[in-house]
Order: sequence, then C-alpha cells, then structure tokens
Amino acid sequence: MIERKERKPYWRHTKWQMFASLIPFLAVIIILPLYAERLNSNKFLGFPLGYFLAAHGLVLIAVITVASFVRQQDAIDHWHGAHEDN
Amino acid sequence: MATLSPSRAVNPRLGSYFGIFLSGFAAIALLSLILHSLGVEPSVLSLAMLLGPLVLYMAIGAATHASDPLDFFAAGRRVPAFFNGLVLATSAFGATGLVGLTGLFFLIGFDALFIAIGALGGFVIMAVLLAPFLRKFGAFTIPSYLGRRFESRPLRLATALVVAVPILMVLSAELRFAAEAAAKLSGWSHGQVFLLLYLVLLATLIPGGMRSMTWSSVAQSLAAVLAVMVPVIIVAAIVTTLPVPQLTYGPVLRAVGRSEAIQGLPIILPPILAFDLPGPELQPIMKRFADPFGAVGAGAFVLGTLSMMAGVASAPWLLPRLAAAPGVYDARKTLGWATFIFGIAMLTASSVAVFMRDFLMDLLVTPGPAIVPPWLADLAKRGFASITETGTQFTTQSISFARDSVILSLPVAAQLPPMLLDLTLAAIVAAGLVTASAAVTALGHVLSEDTLFGSTWDPPHGSARLHAGRGGIAAAAAAGILAAAFAASDPIRMVLNAFAIGGSALFPVLVLSIWWKRMNAYGAMAGLLTGFFVALLVATGGQSETAALPVALAAFAGVPAAAAAVLAVSFATPPPSRHVLELVRDIRVPGGEILYDREMRTQRLKKQRQLG
Repeated sequence: MIERKERKPYWRHTKWQMFASLIPFLAVIIILPLYAERLNSNKFLGFPLGYFLAAHGLVLIAVITVASFVRQQDAIDHWHGAHEDN
Repeated sequence: MATLSPSRAVNPRLGSYFGIFLSGFAAIALLSLILHSLGVEPSVLSLAMLLGPLVLYMAIGAATHASDPLDFFAAGRRVPAFFNGLVLATSAFGATGLVGLTGLFFLIGFDALFIAIGALGGFVIMAVLLAPFLRKFGAFTIPSYLGRRFESRPLRLATALVVAVPILMVLSAELRFAAEAAAKLSGWSHGQVFLLLYLVLLATLIPGGMRSMTWSSVAQSLAAVLAVMVPVIIVAAIVTTLPVPQLTYGPVLRAVGRSEAIQGLPIILPPILAFDLPGPELQPIMKRFADPFGAVGAGAFVLGTLSMMAGVASAPWLLPRLAAAPGVYDARKTLGWATFIFGIAMLTASSVAVFMRDFLMDLLVTPGPAIVPPWLADLAKRGFASITETGTQFTTQSISFARDSVILSLPVAAQLPPMLLDLTLAAIVAAGLVTASAAVTALGHVLSEDTLFGSTWDPPHGSARLHAGRGGIAAAAAAGILAAAFAASDPIRMVLNAFAIGGSALFPVLVLSIWWKRMNAYGAMAGLLTGFFVALLVATGGQSETAALPVALAAFAGVPAAAAAVLAVSFATPPPSRHVLELVRDIRVPGGEILYDREMRTQRLKKQRQLG
C-alpha cells in the first residue's frame, strides 16, 4: 500500500510520464502525414517513403509508445510503492 | 483483501482450448476444399462454411456459463492481456474495418489512413489516459463509473441514455455487414439471416454475459484473423514470392504508382476541408494510391484523425473490456496487444487493396483492344464490379467497383478456389459478430444495471441480478437487429458518426474525471450533454450539402465545447465533497482494493445498519 506522503510525488511522476508518452506521439501522428507527399519521392523496402512512414511507421511508433509507457509506468509504480499487491 | 483468491487466477489451458478451436475451424475450411474437388454442390459447402463456425462459437458460449455477478459482468476479471487485447482490437476493427476500410483503401488509397491511424492513436491515448484508472475503479459499465465517481444518479441515467446512441449506431452497421456476408454464404433472405444472427448472439451472450462474450469473441477474432490472412498470403506468395503481404507489397505499390501515372490518373488538389468519402455504390477508383490528400483534404485528414482518436479512446463498447483484465498492469498491457494487433489488421487491409489495384492496373496497361478477362467477367457477374464500355482500350473510368466488395474481389480476381471466397465471407461474419457482441453486451449491461436498477446502488443479490442482465442482453440484441434491418444510411459513415458522437460526449468527461480533481457532478453533466448535442447538431446539419464541417469530424466541435462546459460549470458550482476527493486519489493509485467492490460493500453495510 502506498504511503500517504508518497501520493503527491507519485502523481507528479505519473503526470510527467503521461506528457512524455503522449506529446511526441501526438506531434508525430499529426505532422507526419502532412509531409507524406514530399517524402514519397524516396523509397524504402520498395514502398514510397511517405506512405510507408504513415502506415507502417505509425504502427511501429504506436506500439513502441505503449510498450515503453507500460514499462516506465510500472517502474514508477514500484518506485513509489503504488503497485498492486499480487 | 490483499490476497488473490484462486478463482481469479488465469486459466493455464486457454492456449490449448483455442488451439483446438482453430484446428476445428481449419478442418472445416480444408474439408470444404476437399469436398469441392470431390464434386459436392458448392452451395452446400458455403452453407457449411457459415454454419460450422457458428456452431463452434455457440458451443463456446454454452460452455462458459456464469452464475456469479463478477463472472457475468466482468468475465471474472481474469482474462489475460493477450486475449483481452485481441478482442479489444477486433471489436474496434470489426466487419466495418475488414469490408469498409479495405474498400476505402482501394478507392482513395492514402486518404483512408486517417481512420486507421486515428484508431491506433485512440488506443495509445486510452492506454495512457484512461485504461489503468478505469480498471482500478472496476465498474462494469461507463454509466456506473461516472455515477459512482460523482455520486450522482441523474448523471448515471443521463450517461446511460447518451451511451445508447453510438452503441446502437455501431451495432446496426456491424450487423448489416455480417448479415450481408451471411446472406451471400447461405443464399437466404435478409429476414432469415437477421434471425440467424439474433439466435447466434443470444446463444453466445445469454449463458454467461461478459464471460461467454469474451471467450466466444476470442474464438471469433482468431477465426477472422486466420480467414482473412489466408487469401492475402496466397496472393502475396504468388505476386511477390514472399508470404508476408503487410511488408512486401512495396514494389507492387510502386508498379501500381507507375501504371497510375501512365494512365494519367489525375492528381487532385482538394480544398483543405474536403471530405469526399466514397459511398457503397459502384464507382471507378478516384485517385493515385500513395499520393496523400485527393479525396480528403489535409485539414480534414488531421481533424478526422483526432476525431477517431477521441472516439476510440472513449468508446463505450470498448472500455468495459478493461474491467475484465486481472489487474491494472494487465490493463495497460492489454492496450499494447490491442495496438499491435490492430496495426497488423490495418496493414493487411491496405495490402488487400494494393493487390487488388495491381490486378486492375495490369489489365489497364495491357496494350491492344479491351478484352474482358474471365476474372473481371466473374466480378461483374457477382455484382462486385461493372464495365461501362468495351471494344476500345480500357481506361480507369470504364471499370467501377463496389466499395464493400473489394475484399471479396481479391480471391475472385486471383482465381483462387471458391472455398477462399467463402473463407473471407466467414471472416466478415466472425468480425461482425465480435463487435456486435461487444456492443450488445455493453448496451445490455447498461440497460439492466444502470436503467432497471439505476435508482439504487444496491442491486438485488442472487439470481435476480443475472436474470435482469440476461434480459438486458436479449433486449439490446433485438434493438440492434431492428436498427440493422431498418437503417438505410451508409454503414461506414454510421460508424464514423458513432465514434464522433461518443467521443465528444464521453472523452472530455472521462479524461477530466481522472485528471482534474475539482470537477463535480454538475460539470460532468454539462460536459456530457454539451458534447452530445453539439456533435448531434453537427452530424444532422452535416447531412445537408451546405454544412461547413463534415459529419464524421463532429468531434472536433464537440470535444472542445464539452471540455469548456465541464470547466465553466464545475467552477461555477461548489467543489466536490471530501469523500469524492478521496475516491479520486484512490483511482490514481494502482495498488489497493478495487474501488467499485469497496463502494458496493460500504453501501451494503450502510443499508444493514439502517435496517438493524
């Protein structure tokens, strides 16, 4: 069980982790497709690069974002003693 | 209550069970292939391909009976992250994703990506902003969560009403796609097919509510993934020599791009807010595949992505799935699996579209007079495509395709055995059933828990609660079937609207209810209603031609309006009570007792004290 005085630092830490996970991801997901046209003249694995990044690249970025969030947030939980008991 | 009771442990034999199911499913498909070459009537085989898997799903439903409310409403809270994520991803993708997204990719290429990456972003946002906290709270439905969180029964009832609208819209779209595919397999009329789907929904959901929904949906999701992959993998192996369609269609796409340039497919420069999604009717391809922003303008693309994100992150038929995770950590991991599986599904849909375009472009660039090849004649005979002029050279304008048949056209165009077309149809039925089951269960639980017992926090003990739950599911399934049978508008727009309306009503309220302590019940009520009505206004106004904002982007107007309403009304009214503040602090910490269980216990103790 988490100690009472640990709650504030725990929540501050969690909030920063939230920003660290979401802001770069949202920036990429909004900005990347807008530049797809210019990137399309290059190629990667045979794909036009802009299309490849907007489809395959964003999937990869989303999976990495969630996976790193799960790891980091679990570490934060354990650091502050906020983790589940089992 | 720190100890983990043995009943909450994850079943170690799940892998073997679903291995057996998959072998059964593959056996049906292979037997159908063998019997076809032995000369058995194809219509019999198609019917077996429809009914065989349905019997398996119903058997799983019957085998997962529940007699305990925790099993009935939250699958016993012991669904491991992979299976939970699989069902979550498939219920977000659904038959609409299989049929509609593939068709949109084929017709407008890059521009259809906004739906897919919006949903991916929705999962990321759900993982970070909502999932762990909703799992810690542990309520069975979204209205129960909001009602309990703000200690307000009117809010619970209002949420129940608002949530029902997008759930019914999704339900009607999914059931229509599933019914369409089932009718093609069986040759029955639409009335008979809807009756069949109703019976399947009842048989898979009534015995164990959320529990039987979870396990039958896992089976349906595995079947859908397998059945959709097989034809594309075969085509990929033929065309690119590598059986990984998602990664190897690059060279095919470049060849398609060159043919498109030779054919002189125009480069369209639409207005920034253009939102020209193709409808279900027959139409020629609209733009070059890999070029962005021809049908959907750059601005509309970004707004559409954001709208889908808000909608998926707060979809009331997806969020109850989190209550079935064994713990907060597993709830986060669930979203990881869901993102991964959804990503694969979306890349598969785009590869189907590219291979189909490759078949079309090969035909168009062949010099000489236009001779209709057998596969195109077959497509036209089935109504999947139409040829407007023959005799001279084919152009892109002379061959039209039906958006909702593109995924079915691939096995026909590649001249694969008819069994593979049946397999694709079975995948559509399975995927439609996954989403429909999730929506029916969510609506059914809302009907019984939040409407029938909505006036009390102490639902009856014993079997009465489960009987009500079963009645709710039956009523929700009936409502969904009726909505599907009588709805006339384009199912894809329906789903996009459902995400937009659900997102603007729920997303700001749910996120702020966790991340902003000062929010109170009045603010929640104001945000919910503002978001809902603004989105509804934009959606109904958007049906007319003169609308400034496209329909599916309604969340762009709804989310900020709802967030502003929450802030303004919360500040204008008294701050929340000490008990509510303590509740929010507890939501934010993963450890400790599940809050919903604790609240229920204190309610019961309070009642006993009053009686004694």
